[in-house]
Amino acid sequence: MKKLLALAAVLLLWGTAGVFAQSESTDSMKIEIEPDPVSLQVGSELQLKATLMSAEGEALPDTILFYSRNGGDLEVSRTGYLKANKPGTYNVIALRSGPRDQRVVKRFDVEVPYPPIAAVKFINKPANVYTGTTVNLSVDVIDEMDLIRENPELSISSSNSDVASVSHGKLIALKEGSATITATSEGKSTTWNVNVKKNPATAIEIGNTETTILTGDVVHFEAVAKSSGGSSVNVPITYSYVAQPDDNLGQAAEAQVSQKGKFVANLPGVYTLIAKSGSAVGQQVIRVNQRDVAKDLEVVGHGEVLDVHTSDLWVWEGVDGRDYAITGTWGANGDAYFWDVTDPANMHTIDTVRVDARTVNDVKISEDGKVGILTREGASNRKNGIVILDVSDPHNVSVISEYTEGLTGGVHNAFIYEGHVYAVNNGRRYDIINIEDPANPETVGRFELDTPGHAIHDVWIEDGIAYSSNWSDGVVAVDIGSQNSELADAGGSPANPVKLGSYTYPSGWNHAAFPFKSESTGDFYVIAGDEAFPYGLPSRDNPVGAAGWIHFVKFDGWDNPEEVARYQVPEAGTHNFWVVGDTLYIAYYNAGLRIVDISGELMGNLYDQGREIARFAPNHPDAIVPNAPFTWGPQPYKGHIFVSDWNSGIWALKLKENPQQASN
Amino acid sequence: MRYLKFLLFYGLMFLCNQALVAQDYYVYVAAESDDEVSLIHFDGETGKGNIAETIEVGTWPQENEGPHGLTVSPDGKHWFVSIAHGQPYGKLWKYETGTNEFVEEVELGMFPATMDISASTGLLYVVNFNLHGDMEPSTVSVIDPESMMRLADIETGIMPHGSRVNDEGTRQYHVSMMTDELMEINTKTLEVQRRLKLSENGSQSMHASSNMDHSGMKRSEVHHPKPVEKPTWADPHPTKPLVYVAGNGSDEIIVIDTKKWEITNRWDTGKAPYNLEVSHDGKLLVVTYKGEGATGVWDLESGKELAKIKNSRKVSHGVAISADNKYAFISVEGIGGEPGSVDIINLEKLERVDVVETGKQAGGIIFWKQENLD
Repeated sequence: MKKLLALAAVLLLWGTAGVFAQSESTDSMKIEIEPDPVSLQVGSELQLKATLMSAEGEALPDTILFYSRNGGDLEVSRTGYLKANKPGTYNVIALRSGPRDQRVVKRFDVEVPYPPIAAVKFINKPANVYTGTTVNLSVDVIDEMDLIRENPELSISSSNSDVASVSHGKLIALKEGSATITATSEGKSTTWNVNVKKNPATAIEIGNTETTILTGDVVHFEAVAKSSGGSSVNVPITYSYVAQPDDNLGQAAEAQVSQKGKFVANLPGVYTLIAKSGSAVGQQVIRVNQRDVAKDLEVVGHGEVLDVHTSDLWVWEGVDGRDYAITGTWGANGDAYFWDVTDPANMHTIDTVRVDARTVNDVKISEDGKVGILTREGASNRKNGIVILDVSDPHNVSVISEYTEGLTGGVHNAFIYEGHVYAVNNGRRYDIINIEDPANPETVGRFELDTPGHAIHDVWIEDGIAYSSNWSDGVVAVDIGSQNSELADAGGSPANPVKLGSYTYPSGWNHAAFPFKSESTGDFYVIAGDEAFPYGLPSRDNPVGAAGWIHFVKFDGWDNPEEVARYQVPEAGTHNFWVVGDTLYIAYYNAGLRIVDISGELMGNLYDQGREIARFAPNHPDAIVPNAPFTWGPQPYKGHIFVSDWNSGIWALKLKENPQQASN
Repeated sequence: MRYLKFLLFYGLMFLCNQALVAQDYYVYVAAESDDEVSLIHFDGETGKGNIAETIEVGTWPQENEGPHGLTVSPDGKHWFVSIAHGQPYGKLWKYETGTNEFVEEVELGMFPATMDISASTGLLYVVNFNLHGDMEPSTVSVIDPESMMRLADIETGIMPHGSRVNDEGTRQYHVSMMTDELMEINTKTLEVQRRLKLSENGSQSMHASSNMDHSGMKRSEVHHPKPVEKPTWADPHPTKPLVYVAGNGSDEIIVIDTKKWEITNRWDTGKAPYNLEVSHDGKLLVVTYKGEGATGVWDLESGKELAKIKNSRKVSHGVAISADNKYAFISVEGIGGEPGSVDIINLEKLERVDVVETGKQAGGIIFWKQENLD
């Protein structure tokens, strides 16, 4: 009877069991690790003991294997032999393998404590400390492995706060005298005997002669400290200002001053520039007027592409003297559209080339207007590469050849320069392909960084120098044939690209790069653009999603890059951009097209300085995402500005010469 | 006693009905060129399928990130998708089944593709396909799917693909597409245990591709023999010591005896076999013919193709067989802007019963579950 009941119950249970329902009996077993907790010193080794325990606490004979991802920092053998090479906390897995109901897993940490501190050192100590000045205190904390500890616990104190006080890593020299400054970390200390001298400066002279300027103009204080005898003295000078803006109704920051003695105003008004050392103070009053550069922007024409996303564009003068444009498509049929834009008010398609791809992300035309390049992604045979076109007659474009050698994963961007294509492989490099015979392209070189995990997004070439954008590796300049260039002559060639310089920034968002030689100052910059989507993907329900800005990186020689300014539109993100003269044209994704005056020295956020000349949001009610600008790329050309928009196609715009407001 | 009889009667009736009651089937399929994964529902009673839900994956709207491979955890609670493109490395994303909520991600190697989870270790083995062009050895990444910790990268051949683990969970098999090799990984020691040359002149080529000292050569100077078989998939038999490999370049199925570690059969197939899967009862082998937009169903006992079934569009890709072995779900990529699809094949009638259109380039596909209709 009992057997029958049991059988019936089992049958019912079996019948109702789901495909994945399985018993989990491993809860009753566990793995014990000895020692517990696990800790070992850097450089030491340890054999772990693992025991499989039954629910009753009985040790069961079985094999336990160990796994860990820590590589060389903490070496872990399958049998649990540990060797610690670097401090940290590491995750380790102990596993008794087997079917799911017999498998036992234990995840535990191994602590490798930091070595004891061996020494604490003050670095970058000034030769003299003067009354009324402030010194940044720099301290290295070094452990017994001779490694500098990052973010150590550190305390700094002064033996005589009346002479020299310490606050938030700064020493404030208050009066003449001596003080011992002590830095301590984990019981190790060092001292610096500071002798605060009387500040010899009795006056500060400000040499700037520009006392009426515009917002965005950079003023150099040219401040000099003078002794009572009138001679110059080398003492620290601090810079500040007092603002009296014309509009004081809850304004934000009116201006910015750097401790290199530079000042730039965001708002018009009267400013008092202040340079100070000890009790010596110099002041200068300047007038800042509004930078009236704004112009009206006229929409001349719109080439509608409302059924698929539009990617990049290129506008060129054809061999017949007429003007043409090519636009790519994104996530669609692999089409590239050719437009006659001779009359921008009546742009119209004249040909379409379809290739085996889902995305034609980038389009480029050779300098002579005869050869075009399409980049491919999503080819059905997974051999993407590039397609080389004969565009001599843009009404009848033909495919000359396809080239996939080393480019099968997909080419995202490319550039044509002097008979070569610089094709950005979706992985990590750009390949340099000779297309002098476009029917028989040949790879002649490649450039790839050697940094860990390096990646690349785009490349732009001017004067024999390739400027690539490399996400977390920032912008990189490479000589690919810059003979006689004023910027470089490193002997590079397409077959022998030679790195000149680079600049990285913390966000890792570097997506585009463009060289800029300022016509007004002669300064040389590489302008770096971001791409980021921290707010989620844009969609019909969430059309706004981009972030990032334009970085102005000034190169005073390839080894001396300095990021000096930015252009940042709040709540929006940059994509591609272009410079002509001292004007920057930015496709600012959801902020549309922005045209910015980048003349003169650059400092601070240009967005705040009234440098914006014009803006245009390519809204369209029938766009793929209606009324949601997602501007991809700009190209100023023969007095017009052509813009591709991801959701609505190609636009032609023109700046009107009439200023919106009278100049100052 | 009467109660007992009642219980037994209805219990047995219930079990008998199990085979007759129509089922709901669910598979996940990735649309590689639309950065989305769709949950496909197929009603076994009506023979109709539909998209139950589409999940957008990836974080970059202007970069196609390419969801490629899929798998479901053995307990059915999570699904995993490999994201092929990154900066530069791809990733493994973990989702909860049912809610399709994102759980966690971990970075992998270059262009991660197919994956499987071992029934023995519980670890996930994903091949880093790296199809960017350089003929260099790639890796198989090993992930703890619970903590999403990457435990190891096992160096393997060039362009590895088709990661499948045997039913015991002790061996992972994949192929090295550009060196014509079948690779066997010990799932516990995480080492390549054996590699087998699949080309006819195997020993010579294997020496050239695997054992040659390239240390003094630049990467671009290393010339590997051109692959012949270009194997793209490997799947072990559920009960026999056999592995079936798709010879994409040689239009054949290659049968390997894993005890002898030698090729025992080569079966001529349709053009460019790509993915394949052995039915759970070990009787059938379903093979996609990428080059002709068709699917072959093979009887493994006789080694004969029972049927070649035209797919709904070109570029046939993946295979997932239902737990009851009644249906094969075939992902078909399509070309250009054409939608991808899941073609549903009745393995008893050997005919296509429905087509569900998906996002572009339907590729990775995995069976999730089947349920009784209410």
